[in-house]
Amino acid sequence: MTKTTIPVHLDINGRDHDLQLEPRVTLLDALRDRLGLTGTKKGCDHGQCGACTVHIDGERVLACLTLAAQVEGRTVTTIEGLAREGEMHPVQAAFLEQDAFQCGYCTPGQIMSAVACIREGHAGSDEEIREYMAGNLCRCGAYPHIVAAVRQAALEAAS
Amino acid sequence: MTVHNIRHGDASDGAFAEAVGGRLSRIDGPAKITGAAKYAVEQQLEGLAYAVLVESTIASGKVRAIDTTAAEVAPGVLQVLTPDTIISLKTAADWFGTPPPDKPYCPLARDITFSGQHVAAVVAETFERAVAAAALVKVSYEETPAIVDLSDGKAGDGIAIDAMTKEWGDAQGAFASAPVRICAAYNTPREYQAPMEPHGLIARWEGDRLTVWEPSQWLDGMARTYAEWFGVPFENVRLVSPYIGGGFGSKALALSHGAVAACAAKMLGRPVRLVMTRPQTFTGYGGRAATRQTVTIGADVQGKIQSIVHRGVNETSIDGMWVEPLGSVTSIMYTTPNFSSKQNVVRVNSVVPGAMRAPGENPSAFGIESAIDELAYEVGIDPLEIRLRNYAEQDPHAKKAWSTRQLREAFAAGAERFGWSRRTPEPRSMRDGNQLIGWGVAAGTYPVRRAYGEALVRILADGSVEVESSSIDMGQGTYTILAQTAAETLGVRADDVVVKLGDSRFPRAGVTGGSRLAGVMTGAVYKAATSALDQLVGLAISDPRSPFHALQANTLVVANGRIASPRGDGPDVSVAELLKSVGRDHIEATGDTMPANSTPEDRYKNYTTIAMSVPHTEGDYSRHSWCAHFIEVRVDEDFGTVRVSRVVSALDSGRLYNPKLAESQWKGGIIMGIGQALLEEGIVDRRHGRIVNNNLADYLVPTNADIPDIEVISVGIPDLHSSVLGGKGVGELAIVGVAPAIANAVFHATGKRIRDLPITLEKLI
Repeated sequence: MTKTTIPVHLDINGRDHDLQLEPRVTLLDALRDRLGLTGTKKGCDHGQCGACTVHIDGERVLACLTLAAQVEGRTVTTIEGLAREGEMHPVQAAFLEQDAFQCGYCTPGQIMSAVACIREGHAGSDEEIREYMAGNLCRCGAYPHIVAAVRQAALEAAS
Repeated sequence: MTVHNIRHGDASDGAFAEAVGGRLSRIDGPAKITGAAKYAVEQQLEGLAYAVLVESTIASGKVRAIDTTAAEVAPGVLQVLTPDTIISLKTAADWFGTPPPDKPYCPLARDITFSGQHVAAVVAETFERAVAAAALVKVSYEETPAIVDLSDGKAGDGIAIDAMTKEWGDAQGAFASAPVRICAAYNTPREYQAPMEPHGLIARWEGDRLTVWEPSQWLDGMARTYAEWFGVPFENVRLVSPYIGGGFGSKALALSHGAVAACAAKMLGRPVRLVMTRPQTFTGYGGRAATRQTVTIGADVQGKIQSIVHRGVNETSIDGMWVEPLGSVTSIMYTTPNFSSKQNVVRVNSVVPGAMRAPGENPSAFGIESAIDELAYEVGIDPLEIRLRNYAEQDPHAKKAWSTRQLREAFAAGAERFGWSRRTPEPRSMRDGNQLIGWGVAAGTYPVRRAYGEALVRILADGSVEVESSSIDMGQGTYTILAQTAAETLGVRADDVVVKLGDSRFPRAGVTGGSRLAGVMTGAVYKAATSALDQLVGLAISDPRSPFHALQANTLVVANGRIASPRGDGPDVSVAELLKSVGRDHIEATGDTMPANSTPEDRYKNYTTIAMSVPHTEGDYSRHSWCAHFIEVRVDEDFGTVRVSRVVSALDSGRLYNPKLAESQWKGGIIMGIGQALLEEGIVDRRHGRIVNNNLADYLVPTNADIPDIEVISVGIPDLHSSVLGGKGVGELAIVGVAPAIANAVFHATGKRIRDLPITLEKLI
């Protein structure tokens, strides 16, 4: 086989990974198919649904529209890396308490978006939360509970 | 031997969260919010190959040739499947179990009846290489004219479905002589389930045994289909589906893409993963059929209905049959002495439509619940009052008593909370600046569909409990409510119960559809747990090694994981200690809700077909869930944009096994209804019969920014005619009636009656 792959070094959730990938492999497929990190979901593969939201250098990014090779030298955080020392992140705890999900498939993306939304300072009101969480679709219709969870976690973060 | 008291409270009867009726958080929640939950296609298997589908680009005609030359030599390609190279399958029975014709089944099509039909597939070492090679497959066609949709001039009037006809009295005659008459046509477009997890599977063969990891609303039904396709015994097929990323009716049947993957796996001798692209999910299976209804109502001047004449049409495919029962709500919501409903289906070049949240009831309610609002304005009475004036005190069609019908209570509770009495009736009479405000009401209903289920309950040596069932959790809360049922019955904490679902090796379950799962499976777990408890108490009383043996008690009490005599005059030991003393490492029992004389054939038929479903009007009662939606819209007077600003819904689902999770499902149904009312419409390209907006950017589902606060109120009471523990249906009920409530609110806001969904701005300006 002709040499069509390149070495890619990834820093994911504080761990180093060395992969040999075709340049066209997305970060999403690298996470799911090469590294077994399937918490990041594929809903549309076209940046339309938000299920694949991860953090790159702390900012929310769609992993399906990001090539794995693009994140060399940057830090990637996925849903698997959000809890610290076994303690759920406050946003995760709020999602559970508020029942902010049903099937759970959009949930990792919602949570990664919510963490960033609060960090960005975009969780000041329910209206603002709705707007800044609008890029993450939830077909089960957990939206009112997602807003409640983000509001709760934002208040906890501020206190 | 033992006496078990079931507590039958109202919907808020959960005195403590872990019992049935308690607001326990989802026990599968931690796995889902940490990313640990592995969905079907996320299994990491050695040697996995990746399949990608190639689909037809015409809607009608024949495949002339498929040129696979370039694809076959593309890097990493293992196999290119076409109708000529794929292995031959047998035709499987349909979901009723009707014996199939004895002819081969090919999941890749030569004869094209819709755009997006699977014609070839490429399997490669990586997903990227399969995608790239699939683009190299060249298909040429002989195209013939397509019937693109219901409005196509070639579509015709369709086929009369006599089984849908419901008639009593003289509907036409009574209409002709009625002092008040209204008649209007109501249309709904193609709509799509659009679960966030796309359909897909991993298929792996070991000899003549097939394992399929696939999101599934019906493991046993899908396992049967795979078994029949490949001519292997049912027991040789294992379906695994621990989590399902949304279904809404679309994941209940084995579909042709599954057959393609299973064929590829067999031909290659490797496990194969095939996941539909998001665009493929719009044609790989059917959404809700487009519908047309005319509703004619004759009434007296007080608004009392004297006649309803209803005619409905839905689309189906060229070679498949889907009937969306459009008269289902029309025939039961209001009392009328004269009634006629008939329905046709029309063949168009589409994938065969399928089940989507409340098939039948949903579009049916859009017709009748819009029409009753029109009648209210025609006679000049309040839209809520006209519903009460025509309230059906019994099932007008079946002529049977309702098992329970808390609809009057729903109207009262919803109206009170919403503030309906402050509504001014004239259209365009309420405004806030340039926003026209409208308040609308509509009712909804869904029948209590019932079937049978099995479950196994195992008490382990450490006192913990396992529950096993091949039923599934796609977000309704099955894991949680079955844990609550076992915990309450066995007197342990829900934390000590492990529920295992989504594996066809477990005791069987029928389809998770028609909002039947919770009622069926809580009943089965209750029975299994009761048997296990009987065994436990029996051992404690009769086993010579038991500390209770000398007590000569007739019964014992099990609570908080401990077993003791009811009077407290004997030993008090943990369940774990008791099991150790009698030398057992576990006790287990299987329970089911089947009739006692059921044969193995009955059981197989029950769990793998829908032929054994129990009619909701069986016996003396007619069983349904009910709801009333009160909705406020704000319409921009200049631009015609409609926003839903407030929703209060009161719902009767009987007893709620877990109100926290039931409320979530209700709100989800209401939100999908808002999408149906304002956003969702599959747009057909009239030249090529394609769905133009086959993606999540163009087929608009509600986003967070589209949805206001939603208040739901439970008005249900336990209904023991409907289920063992008193619940009725939850999942589908709440979408029914939302679209007409919004359309009615839009009329109130603007004076424009929109009878064609979705209600988009061009229809208002």
